[in-house]
Amino acid sequence: MEATAVQEREVRAKLRAWMAGRAKKGVTRDFNDQTPVLELGILSSLDIVEFVLYIESLRGEELDPDRIEASAFASVDTIYAAFFAGR
Amino acid sequence: MTRPASSTLPGGFLRSLARFPERPALQLADQVLNYRQLHERAGVLAGTLLRAVPGNEPPLTAVFGHRSVTAYAGVLAALLRGHGYVPLNPAFPADRTRTMLVHSGCRGVIVDASGARELDQVLAGVAPGLTFVLPEHDDVSAFAARWPVHRFLGARELGGAAAPVPAADPDAIAYLLYTSGSTGQPKGVMVAHRNVTRFVDVMVERYGITEHDRFSQTFDLTFDLSAFDMFVAWERGACLCCPTQAQKMFPGKYISDCELTVWFSVPSTVALMSRLRMLGPGKYPRLRWSLFCGEALPADLMRAWAAAAPGSVLENLYGPTELTIACTLYRWDAGRSPAECEQGIVPIGEPYPGMRVLVADEAQKEVPVGEVGELLMTGPQLSLGYYKDPQRTAAAFVTPPGRPEVFYRTGDRVRRPAEGRPLVYLGRIDNQVKIQGYRVELGEIESVLREEAGVELAVAIGWPLNASGADGIVAFVAGHPEDTRELRERVILRLPPYMQPSEIRVVKEWPLNANGKIDRRALRDSLAK
Repeated sequence: MEATAVQEREVRAKLRAWMAGRAKKGVTRDFNDQTPVLELGILSSLDIVEFVLYIESLRGEELDPDRIEASAFASVDTIYAAFFAGR
Repeated sequence: MTRPASSTLPGGFLRSLARFPERPALQLADQVLNYRQLHERAGVLAGTLLRAVPGNEPPLTAVFGHRSVTAYAGVLAALLRGHGYVPLNPAFPADRTRTMLVHSGCRGVIVDASGARELDQVLAGVAPGLTFVLPEHDDVSAFAARWPVHRFLGARELGGAAAPVPAADPDAIAYLLYTSGSTGQPKGVMVAHRNVTRFVDVMVERYGITEHDRFSQTFDLTFDLSAFDMFVAWERGACLCCPTQAQKMFPGKYISDCELTVWFSVPSTVALMSRLRMLGPGKYPRLRWSLFCGEALPADLMRAWAAAAPGSVLENLYGPTELTIACTLYRWDAGRSPAECEQGIVPIGEPYPGMRVLVADEAQKEVPVGEVGELLMTGPQLSLGYYKDPQRTAAAFVTPPGRPEVFYRTGDRVRRPAEGRPLVYLGRIDNQVKIQGYRVELGEIESVLREEAGVELAVAIGWPLNASGADGIVAFVAGHPEDTRELRERVILRLPPYMQPSEIRVVKEWPLNANGKIDRRALRDSLAK
């Protein structure tokens, strides 16, 4: 069943909140769905395990690590498109 | 092919350039440079440095960059120009980088795009007269306008390549690398050419490296294990494969996509791969060598890796920066090794050829086999000591009673369980903790905290604990900081990511031990509740 607009807003808000809570630099004030989270170091290799597990909990199923492209984690937009859109 | 003992870096790269000019030397994201192309980039930078920053006072050039062609070409350029390189990481706080830049006395700095973004912050308060080479910038006039006391050379000002003039003296500094220091001031470890060439010679022979090998490059240039990747690969015409920050988050995919044959990482990376279910049986059939260093290595991760890379030999390396990259090693054997592990940790093994071990008590006298002591080592990889710091050099580089030579005190507790058994690592004897392979002086974090308004006393604790040390830092402070969240935000701007406290707690009453000192264990125990 495709996500409704409400569900999409909720998922995006949860993804933003998760990353804002982990941000190690004062860069979250203007945080939005296009913010380049990898480039700015908001999301790093230190966080990735927890973040993947969090995505899996939101999806309700495991990700296949062999099919994950690092570029999917560039921003909330790309994360949503890679792991939630069209499901 | 053994090199002459007198040779210096980057001799191995130049020999490979002559033999394999068209073979890949560096792969970075989608960009691949062969030996000829990388040498051309480095040669232009070296020529520019020679013309713009003549002289050898000091014989050091800084490289302010991170995972870029400019950064790697910059390392080679410094060496081709006859200087040692001083790696500076743009991801680290500007204050820290400025301290290192000023302390090193470097007059020339090669800067990549990521370094250029941080340059203004670093330059505030730096004495005039430095020359910055920014090959990725056509126009550097904005820098020149803001900082007229320095000189900036962009891509248009680069000159032609100069004939290389590598350092002739094997005792000259090959790289100056700053490590955490307990007083709040990082220490600059001077590693000589002869230290590194000795290490490289041992490694290329042991691993039978050829031009067909493809090396991982997971370490930042400020981490000395990166010197293994670069100089061992380039010694024999192999390719250095450098994942981007994003690719580093999914190392399993990178190993497969890049068809790596030599893997070298901290055990934390293996733990990450295990948790992301990247260590399935037979996943990495192309790997010939899998090497781990920088932290205690849990045996269960080694077993999982052995199954994932069935064609690979696995080795656990150990070594502080002061002993040049790595100085002991242990080869994993599925039959023998489980019995040799203690508390689930893989042994650190035996010293490299020519290196000598002393397991000693506080008086630096050898302890009997079976007893725990501090590991002291000496041999051809013993570095030159700390730059401009004779006091700390004298404290760490000592001549034990009855010994004719200088040993380095590693600060690591080890034990040889029985004659003929490998050395096992048991942790630190001092106030250091290993985080992601970095050696962190907790005193340095405490020093930064104490400088903040309202903080009277600070104690940093490695937390949560893992087999090697800790995953991160939690800090306790006494005094009247206005807001611990704001305090943390200020402090993390002054510390590199691996030293940043994840949490700061205010303490009203410190727990004390029997000697009246702050009981760090009680503080740690409070975190477990």
